[in-house]
Formats: sequence, structure tokens, C-alpha cells
Amino acid sequence: MISIQSVSKAFRPAGGGPPNQVLEGVSLDVPASCLYGLIGPGASGKSVLLKMIVGLLKPDAGSILVDGADVTQASELDLQKMRLKFGMLFQNNALFDHMTVGDNIAFPLRRLTDLPEDQIKSRVMERLAHVALTGFEGRLPAGLSGGQKKRVGVARATITKAPIVLYDEPAAGLDPVTSQKIFELLREEQRASGATVIMVSSDLDRLLTVTDRVGMMYRGRLIFDGTTHEAKTSTEPRVRQFVHGLTEGPL
Amino acid sequence: MAAQTTNPSKGGEPGAFAAFLASIGGGFLSAAQTTGGMTILLARILSRVLRIKVDGRELWKNLYKMAVKSLPIVVVTALFTGAIMVIQAATIVKRYGAEGLLGWGAGFGTLREIAPLLTALMISGRVGANNTAELGTMVVTEQLDALRVLAIDPISFLIAPRFIAIVSTLFMMTLFADALALLGAAYTGQALLGVSPTTFYNGLTAGLLGFGDVANGLLKSVVFGLVMALASCYFGLSTSGGAPGVGRAVNATVVTSAAGVFVLDYLVSFALGG
Ligand SMILES: Nc1ncnc2c1ncn2[C@@H]1O[C@H](COP(=O)(O)OP(=O)(O)OP(=O)(O)O)[C@@H](O)[C@H]1O
Ligand SMILES: [Mg+2]
Repeated sequence: MISIQSVSKAFRPAGGGPPNQVLEGVSLDVPASCLYGLIGPGASGKSVLLKMIVGLLKPDAGSILVDGADVTQASELDLQKMRLKFGMLFQNNALFDHMTVGDNIAFPLRRLTDLPEDQIKSRVMERLAHVALTGFEGRLPAGLSGGQKKRVGVARATITKAPIVLYDEPAAGLDPVTSQKIFELLREEQRASGATVIMVSSDLDRLLTVTDRVGMMYRGRLIFDGTTHEAKTSTEPRVRQFVHGLTEGPL
Repeated sequence: MAAQTTNPSKGGEPGAFAAFLASIGGGFLSAAQTTGGMTILLARILSRVLRIKVDGRELWKNLYKMAVKSLPIVVVTALFTGAIMVIQAATIVKRYGAEGLLGWGAGFGTLREIAPLLTALMISGRVGANNTAELGTMVVTEQLDALRVLAIDPISFLIAPRFIAIVSTLFMMTLFADALALLGAAYTGQALLGVSPTTFYNGLTAGLLGFGDVANGLLKSVVFGLVMALASCYFGLSTSGGAPGVGRAVNATVVTSAAGVFVLDYLVSFALGG
């Protein structure tokens, strides 16, 4: 269970100037074993919020409880322990570019578990097959297309079967068919493992087919939090416009 | 704060003067910030080294990449440095027939000064700059954040191995350059001045040069290695602002390393009495 309580954050530009208020009093509960879809226009603070949940960024105010422990107050050492619970896909993938695709995916297992190498290998192969990249284990990330990198990122984020997984745009740059497959795969695995998942995606048509709950960010505030059905039928003008992709409206 | 609210147009010049003062003050502040940041980083690295929390595999990988791959450039630099020392000494040796002193003449400067200094500059350009670029790229592409999320301490996994590898690389390469420079000098002495390698060797070991001279140069190499390793890791880790930021970080590493090497060379030479 993730509980975000009145979190605010402003970034001060390096050259001076007015601070950029990125999050303003965001409160949000993500129940355990929920697949939570986080949506919102560009630069509304979705990625920043995800990074705060794993303690990569500290809020100026507010707290974030993960299974009862406050990430925002944790020391670097405590954070290291807490992070064993997390899997994360970065928006830009953050693949280790000096490692092959296979080593990238195997890395979390090699570092965090004592599994023997042959078992790690077979897990990697299974992950690669799931994201339709069988045979790519020897390639370097630099030689992959945008969508292929994304899928390697997904494979790396899911290999440890962490109890909490955060996906920042798991389907960006993917064709509609692969995109749908990835969403369904992640949903299936979330059901099987009972993991708590937060998924940020702009591909609303597909995202909303797999979510339990949805939250919408707008200019640093959470303007909607409810079930997927409530999101689809919401009459709040901004939510309605965004969810249905209308050109007319307040956005 | 009050100063900022006064009207800058009053009295004509103060605006420009204040900006001038601010730029000087800003320079000092950023230098202090860099020094402070480096000190904190050094403390963090040492705490990992002392608790033996350094990733072994990364250490070997970096030693190979930094030391072994630097061999060709060190070989070329060292051999030619030795040769140049002999060419510089040639007129004096010829005029006074001081063949016996050629070994000493070439050896003294090479071991104490030239080999550590030139090796440091070569390694700074090749290894230090490269290390900053790699770390900086990892920072701006969030690979460091990805490591953190995987519950991995970037200092023990990435930084400490690189730090140790740079310091040991410079030490080993200086030792290697010492030997090669003398070899280069001996052969140039024979080819150019007809001084036999035996005479050269005797001149080298006749008592004017001792272990102290070698140790002096090697101590310098360790000091240079520390400053280079620290600068290159620090600027790599503090990279921000995408690809141009990586460029700026590499720039800062090269400038700081070179300046640091010369200043420390002076200080160490002074402390050790020449
Ligand atoms: N490290 C940072 N330093 C300064 N400003 C930042 C930083 N990270 C994000 N921001 C700012 O925070 C705001 C929100 O960024 P964020 O990446 O969370 O947006 P987002 O909702 O994920 O958008 P998108 O859908 O385009 O990915 C932006 O205005 C961005 O400029
Ligand atoms: Mg984002």
C-alpha cells in the first residue's frame, strides 16, 4: 500500500528566476494489489511523483508511506533496504548502455539474489520471449530501436517480480498491437503476483482496459482519483476532455 | 537581501561594479562548493574502501580498461621522453666528454619529474576525461538513478572501483614509464653519442641516484592519481544538463586535473626538498 500525503515540490531553476511549482498538495492512496493508472497532460508531474515514491527525489513538504514506512524521511541506507520492494521502468528506460540486453535484464537478479547463473539465464530468456525480443540478449542498447529499448526496460523492471512496480510509459513508442500485448502481459503478471502497480501512460485507450483505479494529474495537482469506470464516466470537464481525447474543453 | 532592493540606476557605475564584485564572489563560492563537494565525495569513497564495500568485478574491469589499454600510449610517450632527455643533454655530454654522467643526467629528471608528470597528463587525458564522460552520461540518462532503485550503492558499485583503478593505474604506469624512459634514453645515448648501455647504466647507478629519487617520483604519481581520480569522479557525478553538460564536466575534469597536478607537483617537490 502506498500512501502519498500532501506532497509538494518546487524546482529552482539553476540560473535563478521563479521556482517551478511541480507538485502542489498531492494526496493519493494506492491500495495493495491495485493496478493504478496515473494520467495527465505533459509536465503535470507524473514522473516526478514516481521518482518520489522510490526516494530519488525528496518533496519539499508532505510524506509518502510505503507499507507504513516514510520514504521521505528515510536515510540512504534505509532507502536501499526499502528499494528491494520496488521494480521501476523509467520514462527514458535508463538501460545500462555498457551492458548487453541480456546483462541489463539479468542485472537485478545477479545483484539482489543468489540464484545460480543457469536459472538467471532461463529467467532472462523467458522475459525476452514475453516482450518479443528472443535472440536479442547479445545486443547492446545503443543498437536497438526506441520501442525495443522500452521492451528491454519492461523486462528488466519485471524480472525480480517485485511487490511494487512503477512503470513510466511502458508502451511509449510501441505499435498498437505490441502495446496492447505489453499492457495485457503486465496486467496478467500483476494479477498472478498480487503486486501493487502504478502505471503512467498516455495511451489511455489501452491503459484503461487494464487499470483498477485511475488518478489524473493536472498542473501539479491530483484532480481526479477513482475507479476506472468512474474515470470513464466522470463529468469533471478536464477529466472528461482528457479521457475522451476531446479538442473542445478547458485543457 | 536589502542590497538587492536598492535602485541600481543611482550613481551610474555601481551596477557594473556590483556585477564585477558578484562575479568574483561567485567564483570563490563555486570554488568553495567544488572543494567541499570533493571532500564529501572522498569521505564517502574512503568509507566504502575501508569497509571493503567495493565491487570487485567492476574494479578488475576498470583496471583492464584504464591500465592495460593505456600501455601503448605510455610506451610511446616514455620511450620518446627518454630519447628527448638524451638529445637535450647531448651537446654538454659531447663538449665535456661527460659520457659517464649521461645516465645520471637523463635519470634524475626523468624519475623525479618528467615521468610522473607526463604520465599523469597522458592518463588524465585518456582515463580521467573518459571516466567523467561515462559517469556524466550515466547521470544524465538516469542510469545512476536506475542503480539506486535497484538498491545498489553507486559509490561502492561505480565510484570506488573507478577511484582505486585510476590511482593504481597512474602508479603502475609511472613505474612502467620510468623503466621505458631509461631504456629509450640508453638506446638513444648509444645511437646518438656512442655511449654504451653499460656506461649509461653505471652512470645511473653509480651513487648519484638512489631509491629515494624513484620513490619521490612514485609518491608524486600517487598524489596526482588521487587528485585526478577525485576530480574525474566528482565532475562526472555532478553533471547536469544533458549532452552539453557532459561536455562541460569533461572540460572541468581536464582543467582541474592539469592545474591540480602542477600545483601539487610544486608542493610535493617543495616538501621533499626538490
Ligand atoms: N530534475 C528536475 N529538475 C528541474 N525540473 C524538473 C526536474 N524533473 C522534472 N522537472 C519539471 O517538473 C515538471 C513535471 O515534470 P514530469 O517529468 O513529472 O512531467 P510528466 O507529467 O511526467 O510529463 P510527461 O508526460 O511529458 O512525461 C516539468 O515542468 C519539468 O520541467
Ligand atoms: Mg513523465
